[in-house]
Amino acid sequence: MSAELLAQPKAAGARRALWLATLAVYVLCTLELAHGSSYHQGLLLVAASFAILALSLDLVAGATGLYSLGHAGLFAIGAYGTTILQADHGWSVFWALPVVVVAVGLVGIVIGALSLRVSGLYFAITTLIFTIIVNVLLSNLSITGGYQGLPSPTFPSFPHALAHLGTALVWAVSGCLLVTVTVIWSIRSSALYPVLLAIRDSEPFASSAGVRTAATRVLVFGLSAALAGLAGWTFSFLGFITPGQFNSTASINILVMVILGGMNTRLGPICGAVFVSLFPVVISINPLWQEILFGAIFVFVIVFVPEGFVGVVARAGRRIGRLLADRRVDLQSSPERAAAAQTRPFEIDRTLTDPPPSPVEMAPSASSTVPALEARGISFSYTGEVQVLHKVDLVVSPATIHGLIGPNGSGKSTLVNLLSGQLSCQEGTISVKGQRVEHLRAWQRAELGLMRTFQTAVMVQELTAQDNVSIGLFSQFRRIGSRSLAWPMIPSARRDSRKMAVASAEALRHLGLDRSWARARVADIPHGVQQLTQLAAACVSHPSILILDEPLAGLSAGEVDEVATILRELKASGVTIIVVEHQTRFIFDVCDKVTVLAAGELIKTGSAVEVRGDDRVREVYLGQ
Amino acid sequence: MLQVLLTGLATGAIYGLVAMGFAVVFYVTRVINFATGQLLMVAIMITAGLSTLHWPAFASIPVGLLASAVGGVLIYFIAVRPVLRFDRLSFAWLVSTLGVAIILESGAALIWGTSSLSFPQLLNGNDVKFLGSALTWQQITTIMLAIAVTAGFEVFRTKTLFGKLGMAISADPDIASAMGANVTSYAVLAFALGGLLAGVAGVLVGPISFANPYLGDTYGIYGFVALMIGGIERPAASMGGGLVLGILSTIASTYINPLASDWFPFVVVIAVLLLTPNGVFMSGGALKRSLSRAVRSSTGAAPRPTL
Repeated sequence: MSAELLAQPKAAGARRALWLATLAVYVLCTLELAHGSSYHQGLLLVAASFAILALSLDLVAGATGLYSLGHAGLFAIGAYGTTILQADHGWSVFWALPVVVVAVGLVGIVIGALSLRVSGLYFAITTLIFTIIVNVLLSNLSITGGYQGLPSPTFPSFPHALAHLGTALVWAVSGCLLVTVTVIWSIRSSALYPVLLAIRDSEPFASSAGVRTAATRVLVFGLSAALAGLAGWTFSFLGFITPGQFNSTASINILVMVILGGMNTRLGPICGAVFVSLFPVVISINPLWQEILFGAIFVFVIVFVPEGFVGVVARAGRRIGRLLADRRVDLQSSPERAAAAQTRPFEIDRTLTDPPPSPVEMAPSASSTVPALEARGISFSYTGEVQVLHKVDLVVSPATIHGLIGPNGSGKSTLVNLLSGQLSCQEGTISVKGQRVEHLRAWQRAELGLMRTFQTAVMVQELTAQDNVSIGLFSQFRRIGSRSLAWPMIPSARRDSRKMAVASAEALRHLGLDRSWARARVADIPHGVQQLTQLAAACVSHPSILILDEPLAGLSAGEVDEVATILRELKASGVTIIVVEHQTRFIFDVCDKVTVLAAGELIKTGSAVEVRGDDRVREVYLGQ
Repeated sequence: MLQVLLTGLATGAIYGLVAMGFAVVFYVTRVINFATGQLLMVAIMITAGLSTLHWPAFASIPVGLLASAVGGVLIYFIAVRPVLRFDRLSFAWLVSTLGVAIILESGAALIWGTSSLSFPQLLNGNDVKFLGSALTWQQITTIMLAIAVTAGFEVFRTKTLFGKLGMAISADPDIASAMGANVTSYAVLAFALGGLLAGVAGVLVGPISFANPYLGDTYGIYGFVALMIGGIERPAASMGGGLVLGILSTIASTYINPLASDWFPFVVVIAVLLLTPNGVFMSGGALKRSLSRAVRSSTGAAPRPTL
């Protein structure tokens, strides 16, 4: 790890040089185009405009999972807004720019807020209706020129001193594209990116890691809309604008650009936008045939290459990479290590790991009287008819392991969800270290140091185990969201990225997972390792309370012993642990206290010996 | 007022039939066929095209209807089945069915040109006086047919074994197929029926709208809006949405101004989506169902139609 850290500045230097070179080439291309023919300018500027739009859509569709069909409407508001402000109100186009971007961003926040009420398909449909409504307004209002549309505003030329730079509009559009690419790529390399994917794939996981999932989704949609507004601003200068350019088909068209290029990739949306906007011009045939061809492309792309051009290339690249990696393992390696992985994959190398730092909250003398977690009189019902929990009490002393057992359907997982804030209870109080939390959201409870795992580990399949673990650190670092807009350019952010990587790798290693697992994508790792990865994500922020929902599901006997050792270590370092499990041998072995639930009622709380000896517990659970 | 109501019902029945075309397909396959409006157009164009070749209406109309039903099935095999095979829950079909819609529309424009053709007048023009208001026989037929189709569909869906199996597929195709249901044949049937309903709407509206390749767009959007108003989850509810939409837009164009019917439906749909995201005829049932789904309690009785 330390060698890797030392190597990093050198690699970063090379990377920076590469970026600067790319930037220089981009500026030279812009200069060349600014002196080019107006035919080429028109062609490429339209492509650039759509590239901005496609990038903005990919931010919500690819990274956040919100399939917006409202982007044509947002694009239209940007374009029409600029034109109207300039033509009817005499605004400078440069004043119109911030106004349009902010206004469209605000519209986006409103639409994004809708995503909290309707999800998935309904969100796509709702946003499609937004586009249809914008289109109807544009076609019917006199201020927008009805079906005829509006002529584009004039873009000012460079002053005489700068005239040698060529066409000013080219520089403006090129600058907008550069800003968009910078923002989107920064987010993709920031600590926010894994979090966005977690919100997309597993919202409970994200919220239990301390992420304000609702607010994040709304703000990301707002940002995407603002960029769509920016695209509209650039598009307004590129010729007549008519409602037909912004209809529901256009919305799907943008989605096709993103899918064709490769959803949730850096270059995909740009490639897709360039292809779709240049293609009809390049083949120039009867417009009706062109339309038919377009329809055929829609069908072809979605049926045959749903992961897009860049996706196909990346998959091929990954496959080649894996082949090379296999070779390398064969060369250096260790059949015996592979054999060892079969039997004891989670061996803990205790000479390497430092003991985890004890939480600051641990002041045993003072806090020993206050329970770490106290739930009193918890009642809960999903429908109002069937009572899932009825007046359940649970008191957990600091730095103890508390087991929660009971037959299937006894309300264990529901109780855990209430404690961590995934559900909110109808009756009863929950306190963490004496502080009432039953009104707090899941992310607020995570900030108080309460972390949890889930019965079925749902993590982000396409990220590495290490990146998934780093999501657990979200609440430990400030202003991840705002810094993500320029992440690689901010020294403190780069530092935080490194800290997160080190801490996540360390957490995985502490659970006995070696580096090859840390670098593997979650999609490629076995179930038991996923469970431990999830545990690492919950432990990485050094929580004071850890709730584990069936952490042993799918683990072998040897692995179970390892988990028991890990839990005892955590307890020794002052962590309070609540564990839901069916393996009674494990529970009675590691737990200081055990609570038994049956049919939503509290049966018994006591030490392992007391619980095992209790007649009612035998009757309802142990079946003896 | 009665005149407005009746005209609105006749218009709404058309929207409702298109909406049912959407809903029947969605009900069985969870797919929204965005080419439904274009299937309406196909029925109209083929009927009109054959009429220009001096085919009589009783021959050209069945061919038109058959064409839209076959078109629906083709859409299933070309654009829907391949994308459902690898991921049932993605919306990839949204892009592919819209692609088909574009192909159908531009194809029709290539074949028949972009100007309107005449359509057999059928029962249009024969007025009937009714309590001081006048309706054409065509409009009366439309309303009757819409009622008959909706009632027939509901009876078929809830009372026959075949229909109940459809409900099971709608709820969970994997389990239904494990119990022996042929999911594919149901999907084919749903797409054929969806196309047929759109085609029927087309033949009913043809005498007023004439035949134009771009009709599909207009009626597709109105049908879709009707679907949103009524609620996407149940075909009968979408017919209700169509009737509400028809009445409201006729009221708007009569009492606000003649062009208000262009934008008024969308005001309605915004209001509906803000108040009950699942549609007016659905909110009660959907709420109860999503709650019961959360508990994963036993499925219980299938939701009854509220209409």
